[in-house]
Amino acid sequence: MLSYSIMSRMYNNLKTSFCGLKLNSPIVLLSGCVGFGEEYTRIEGFSNADVGAICLKGTTLEPRLGNAPHRVAETSSGMLNSIGLQNPGTEAVINDILPSLDMDETRFIINISGSSVEEYGEIARRFDDTDIDAIEINISCPNVKEGGVAFGNDPEMSYRVVDVCRKNTSKPIITKLSPNQTDIANSALRCINAGSDGLAVINTLMGMAINISERRPVIGNNQGGLSGPAIKPIALLKVHQVYQVSKKYKVPIIGQGGIATVNDAIEFIIAGADVVGIGTALFYDPLLCNKINKGVADYLSKNGLDCVDDLVGSLVLN
Amino acid sequence: MCDCQILAHYQYDGDQFILTLDSSEIAKSTIPGQFVHVTVSDSIPMRRPISVMSVDIDNGTFDLLYKVVGEGTKKLSESKIGDILSVIGPIGNGFELTDKKLPLLIGGGVGMPPIIAIAQKIKDTDCDPFVILGSEVPFPFTPEHSNIGPECDEVSHTMPLLEEWGVACRLTSLQGFEGVYKGYVTDLAKAYLDTLSKNELSKVEVFACGPHPMLEAVAKLSVDYNLPCQISLEEFMACAVGGCAGCTVEVQTERGSAMKRVCVDGPVFDARSIF
Repeated sequence: MLSYSIMSRMYNNLKTSFCGLKLNSPIVLLSGCVGFGEEYTRIEGFSNADVGAICLKGTTLEPRLGNAPHRVAETSSGMLNSIGLQNPGTEAVINDILPSLDMDETRFIINISGSSVEEYGEIARRFDDTDIDAIEINISCPNVKEGGVAFGNDPEMSYRVVDVCRKNTSKPIITKLSPNQTDIANSALRCINAGSDGLAVINTLMGMAINISERRPVIGNNQGGLSGPAIKPIALLKVHQVYQVSKKYKVPIIGQGGIATVNDAIEFIIAGADVVGIGTALFYDPLLCNKINKGVADYLSKNGLDCVDDLVGSLVLN
Repeated sequence: MCDCQILAHYQYDGDQFILTLDSSEIAKSTIPGQFVHVTVSDSIPMRRPISVMSVDIDNGTFDLLYKVVGEGTKKLSESKIGDILSVIGPIGNGFELTDKKLPLLIGGGVGMPPIIAIAQKIKDTDCDPFVILGSEVPFPFTPEHSNIGPECDEVSHTMPLLEEWGVACRLTSLQGFEGVYKGYVTDLAKAYLDTLSKNELSKVEVFACGPHPMLEAVAKLSVDYNLPCQISLEEFMACAVGGCAGCTVEVQTERGSAMKRVCVDGPVFDARSIF
């Protein structure tokens, strides 16, 4: 019999921990999909309390207007986006947004991007002195000219970025890895060596869509990051590959990339993810998290597993 | 968010469809200019934002007009009476209806719905609106002779629903349809404005929705005649709740350029902040 608490709207067997944070659910809402944590609460039936953590919108030191439209385009079983890290800047986030968050509802993770190694360190330092629960380092944004994936695709640069953040904060650090690189496991290892407490696997894949009547890219920035069910098999393999390295160091993974169903979530956990990230699928079904919570809780119960941890990395290779 | 059943689904020329969905909540609460975000098929990963065209509060239904332009709207067009669509809405900041007694309502193509929604909202007030609807494909209704508004043999046809509501309307197109003004919506709007006295002009506010070049021309006309003008924009959209910043447009504010989200900061903006 499943134990379901009305007060927390949560299943007891879903409670888990990630980088030292106590989570009510293994679901993490992904950066860039849910604004600064308040937007989806406009939808009746949606609650931040239904997820373990929320990664807030990517934040840079200074405000950014972001990229020109179109910023999103649907593709086969997925979508491209190139938002370009539109955000009000670190100070506005710290002074205006963080105080308005209900920190009792869930755990909040800030996602940071810099245009230089030093800037990453500076942003991490500023957030170190806030109530934010953890810092996700975005070294994999494919949609900005400086920083982003330019750091994430070079393991040595990734190391330097994580290292400087580590020196500037005692909060848990999660590094969001790019799939647009040859050896993601090696990159993960370098990030762990530099002091990353957790890894987010994966960010979007670079892609393009073309309007054939205009012979122009659909996306204003010409290219964008591909997300949605189309990338799930790639993301799943990357989680499996990274897990081979991260498990030796007991560094947990947020598995993410195209998760849209209960089965998807379970597959990622079996592949090695401690928690799972939901992003694009929320656009189709804003109430998806409750369904995944229930489905994962049911699966654990039916398979005689006490908690999510018992399932993590349980993949049996052929 | 709610599940809405399809009660009617009519096809018109030019791959245009009018869809009637049941939801007394949406019928009651929608403000002209607001839209709904609907699922079109299990196989299409994104919802589609579609403006509400009219509501029937008594029967708890609302109508959407859309045109097939891609895979998603193609799938939507294949849906049948009795099918269920998941609907988020109504969403966004609709038109702000002011005390101007001579609203000029301009809709082009699939930009007609929010304009028709305004006409429905103000049809029983003391406003005296004039509606101009333009289309370069056959209209998504059968134009009929109008007995309301300016008399002119060549420009005599209207949308039957607006005639039923007692709202003056004329149609425009470059295609040479019978009873339809041959030209752009802004040409007919200018001709209409030129018939008004200075006092009457002071009571005009322009409301528009349509293709970007049309909105730009309407915005310019409003500046030329010194009229307030609200426009409703569309943009590719993902979440429709303000979470992803995927649908932004550049807007001029007192503090300079800003990127505003069409879904929750709009879709209605002051025309002067856009053009």
